[in-house]
Amino acid sequence: MTRLEERFGDPYNADNPFGHRTILDADERSTVAEGAEAVLDEFGLNAEFVPEALGGRLVEVDELVRRLRPVFRRDASLGLGYGVTSLMAGLNVWLGGSDVQRKWLADLLLGGGKASVGYHELDRGNDLTNNEFAATRTEDGLVLDGRKEVINNAARADAAVLFARTGGKGGGRDHSLLLVDLHQLDGGTFRRLPRYRTLGLRGVGLSGFEFTGCAVPDSALVGDLGQGSDIALRSFQVSRCVMAGTGLGILDAGLFGVLRFALERRLYGQTVAELPHARATLAGAYADLLTADALVTTATRALHVLPATASAYAAATKLLVPTLLEEAMNALSVVLGARFYLREGDYAGFGKHMRDLPPLGIGHAGGISCQLTLLPQLSRLLRALGDPAPAAVFTAGAALPELDLSRLRLFAPSGDPLLAELAAHGTHPGIAAALAKLTADVAALPARDTGVAASPAALDLTDRYAALLAAASVTGYARHNAVPDGWAELALSRLAERLTPSAALPATHPAAEGALFADLLDRATTGSGFCLDRDPVHRTLAQ
Amino acid sequence: MTSTDTTTSTSTTVPADIAQWLAGRVASYLDTDAATIDLDLPLAEYGLDSVYALSLCGDIEDTLGLVVEPTLAWDYPTVNAMAEFLQAEIA
Amino acid sequence: MRYGAFAEAERLEGVLGDPGDPASVFSTAACADLDDADGFPTDVCAVLDGFDLARLYVPAEFGGGLVDYQDAVQTMRMVSRRDVTVAVAHGKTYLGAVSAWVGASREQAEKVGALVRSGLPISWALTEQAHGSDLLAGGVTATRTGSGYRLDGEKWLINNATRGGAVCVLARTDEAGGPRGFSVFMVEKAKLDPATHSPVPKQRTHGIRGADISGISFSGATIGADDLIGREGTGLESVLKGLQLTRTLCCALSLGAGDHALGIATRFAAGRRLYGRGLTELPAARHRLATAFADHLLAEAVSVVGSRSIQALTGEMSVVAAVVKYLVPTRTEGMIASLRKLVGARSLLRDVLEDGAFGKVERDHRIVSLFDGNTLVNLNGLVNLFPILLRTADNATAPDTDGIRAAATVTEPLAPMQHKRLSLLPRKGSSFLLALPAAVAEVEALAADDDALAPLATAARALRTALDGVYAAVRELPAVPVNVPTTSFVVAQRLAACLGGAALLQLWLRTRADALAETGPSTPLWRDGVWPTLALDRLLASVGTPTPAPQAHYDTAYDVLTAQVGSGRLTSLFDHRLAEATR
Repeated sequence: MTRLEERFGDPYNADNPFGHRTILDADERSTVAEGAEAVLDEFGLNAEFVPEALGGRLVEVDELVRRLRPVFRRDASLGLGYGVTSLMAGLNVWLGGSDVQRKWLADLLLGGGKASVGYHELDRGNDLTNNEFAATRTEDGLVLDGRKEVINNAARADAAVLFARTGGKGGGRDHSLLLVDLHQLDGGTFRRLPRYRTLGLRGVGLSGFEFTGCAVPDSALVGDLGQGSDIALRSFQVSRCVMAGTGLGILDAGLFGVLRFALERRLYGQTVAELPHARATLAGAYADLLTADALVTTATRALHVLPATASAYAAATKLLVPTLLEEAMNALSVVLGARFYLREGDYAGFGKHMRDLPPLGIGHAGGISCQLTLLPQLSRLLRALGDPAPAAVFTAGAALPELDLSRLRLFAPSGDPLLAELAAHGTHPGIAAALAKLTADVAALPARDTGVAASPAALDLTDRYAALLAAASVTGYARHNAVPDGWAELALSRLAERLTPSAALPATHPAAEGALFADLLDRATTGSGFCLDRDPVHRTLAQ
Repeated sequence: MTSTDTTTSTSTTVPADIAQWLAGRVASYLDTDAATIDLDLPLAEYGLDSVYALSLCGDIEDTLGLVVEPTLAWDYPTVNAMAEFLQAEIA
Repeated sequence: MRYGAFAEAERLEGVLGDPGDPASVFSTAACADLDDADGFPTDVCAVLDGFDLARLYVPAEFGGGLVDYQDAVQTMRMVSRRDVTVAVAHGKTYLGAVSAWVGASREQAEKVGALVRSGLPISWALTEQAHGSDLLAGGVTATRTGSGYRLDGEKWLINNATRGGAVCVLARTDEAGGPRGFSVFMVEKAKLDPATHSPVPKQRTHGIRGADISGISFSGATIGADDLIGREGTGLESVLKGLQLTRTLCCALSLGAGDHALGIATRFAAGRRLYGRGLTELPAARHRLATAFADHLLAEAVSVVGSRSIQALTGEMSVVAAVVKYLVPTRTEGMIASLRKLVGARSLLRDVLEDGAFGKVERDHRIVSLFDGNTLVNLNGLVNLFPILLRTADNATAPDTDGIRAAATVTEPLAPMQHKRLSLLPRKGSSFLLALPAAVAEVEALAADDDALAPLATAARALRTALDGVYAAVRELPAVPVNVPTTSFVVAQRLAACLGGAALLQLWLRTRADALAETGPSTPLWRDGVWPTLALDRLLASVGTPTPAPQAHYDTAYDVLTAQVGSGRLTSLFDHRLAEATR
């Protein structure tokens, strides 16, 4: 068992200081369980965000996602609040910063410090190009003016990476990134804004920064003047994958909770788990969790193996995975019935997880910004099939090339190597038909319909692309690894239905569903998690 | 609690053995064989949902030409009890 | 056009005032504060009592002011559009009393009517901790004594159980249980020995946080024989009939929540600039709003026909209620979730946009698909009706065309309610389904003379095909009532969509002439079949036969939506000025 999972203990144990009961009580007070952050300090979670070369433990991004899972499985507020945003800030510096900046931030994080990342302004949402927070060049440095809002850890961060307007020509060179030591700023020209009250993720301290003529030295620039968008868009490729991956822990926990309930609860003379609808819902949610994991795993490994196309994969992952997870939680809530609505009792953890899942990505990259990243790339990606992706992208545990952020590109080359997996190794007929249809529709898409004013029909193409990428991930992963019986069959069938609505009734897969349900039960009783890696977990079914 | 309206029926043929006929209908709802239905066991024992059991009144209307309260199967919870009631109504 | 059912609603709006005015008792700001504190909306309920809202909970025949159920729906919608919590907290008394309307003697019903009119909150105690929706597993017992009954056991997750002055309790009167083993009692707390009952503490909830969702425990509470509603053994029957009414009326909660969410999102979009232009200039954003509005109009149309059907097609309410209660809350949930993506970070923040009302309404509204029979229970109810619906379709049973006309012509007065005509089964099937082929033919005939109606005719034909597909699927399904297979639920969802579509087509066919004769902000929706084409687009997509409406129809809907929200009117098929109306 991982150290974190062990330290956190069984969430269903009422006496556990890191159990659901304590976490829910803390949530009521808009904080996290007392001592939980100390556990993460002791574990040195920040080291996961710092590259090995700088003294940390960040080597492979898919491993990072797995290491964060026990935290998000426990409490999304804890994971986000402790500082996944330190990673988001750090990525920009690892990629574009000077050696001095890299070492300074690495040491700060390794010493337990926190970094905020300041992209977001309330009036601009995900539209970075029109950000108003500005850095003006002066003779002896830069002067900052404006606000960054809804920023995680702004109240207590030691450092911040800020996305600032430094030019006004229009275009991609108008912004720059700055790394600032918040303790060095002049209190008269800089202040931390009050905390926002939030309706979900209540334990997360979201606030902001306000600068009024605040001077910082030139050395605060990360990379060159005007390189902000460039660096940010590349670091997003990593953070989008990671943020999508954090949601896996939430569905994993939710699925366990509902399974536990279904095995315990009796209705109409039998347990809920014996009702066909409940059983199918549990098996379906499990299949979708594994599908989401396959996409996250493939996309994170692609950062290493296929960096040139990673921008598309990261955007597709951040587009589809939160939706898949949210839909699965919704379906599970129907099985849980009234208890998903309660903030107390044995199953109250589920309702909190369900509440916290959708806002997890808010302020980071919403669906529309991912769609707008994908849309202009589709015609190139689908123009021809590339060479099929190397096995390393799918094979769990296979050695990965070192993560080289400088090899990430903003625009994918022609020919998608992941989709080539579908062509090269055969797939569900519905998936094959959907790929052919998408290819034809993309070929017919006028270039003028690929920008911010894209039509809804054009944006729909990006959803279909993401679902096909998930199908490719499922196919590839199942080909190269031992996976639960029935999963690939059920997963591809579900993706095909998502891609192409049909008047025919959904195909039934009793054998696949039965096998998956049996596997789910087996994992629940033997202390295994529900993701592809079957990580050991500490949680108990009802006696 | 159950009352009937007698309506004239044009095309129905009353089965000779109403109990056997009912057992056949119940069996079809349960997706089982009529021979397995104990005529004196409450339908609920077979797990026949009490609301679903209301559907029997449609079969009765179609086949026997009797309009009965939907709750017939609640008030006469076994096949024999129902058959006895229906026999009396037809007579 | 104007819709007569809004008369009371308009009066109530006048009393309640602009919800955006923080000085008003029933303001968005006040409701948000109460929500933070899990506080019961006592002051707001007092205002509603001052309005004597409870008179709409008592049918006229039993001494109240409830003549047409549609009026109660539209009036309660005005409460819900401000705060679902208040609608749930106050409207609950109708649920508490409904067993009397459907199952009691006249004398008894009049007594309950007087109780409600006295302002006493009444709650409806059906569920128990270990059983939930499985009512026949209930363990609360009523044991006969010399002069009455003795109540024992606990009811749990009961709205207003603690604050209510009376509790309508479903209790086991036959040890063996079964459908004739339960009875309903009207238990007035003031008449009980205080030592024999105790409240089970309020449960904290994610939404409707202020509501009193608690329980009540009885131990040897003695009640009189005259507290039994109807006869012994009729409990399940009166509950099932009562649910036919309450499940239909629940649409008021969804419509109000939908009005609220659409209003917030539309106002937000109007003021937002992204990517160098107004958000509403982005086609994707406009389409999201227009699609949400289409979903809302669909929900409203089904609700209008459903609530009129209570009086017009009383004997068919078992099927109509299940369709309304499944379709309206789930469509509204989906619509709010979609709008959340437009509203973005503000849906998470308590103090940035309209007092955090968007996040609150999404949370609050989730209760609607949960209580009073959740999504699965309603779909299961439809599965139970498959045999009779198929049989009546195969027999070509004649639909009740007078009933359909009355249900779908909103300008036509409704016949007085006769609660005794409620039936556990739609004996003659569903008139809306049976009349669908004729309705489609009618649309086709209109389209033959008017090209603008071609998209509606296409959608109507697709709906008929979808219904044929449902019948074919039902024929193939095994009859397994005990463990309903998953496929049956899918078929039930499609059946609900078809019935909803059939009902809304009737609404357009029967009401359009009157709607077009009157000019108002909503008129463009009624021209060229705009709204039914959009609503069918949304329904047909959900049953796997996408039939996209023309972009021009979405544009029209978008224009009407922004005009209605911009002028403080209800987001609706009808013209209804809200308290905040500007012109």
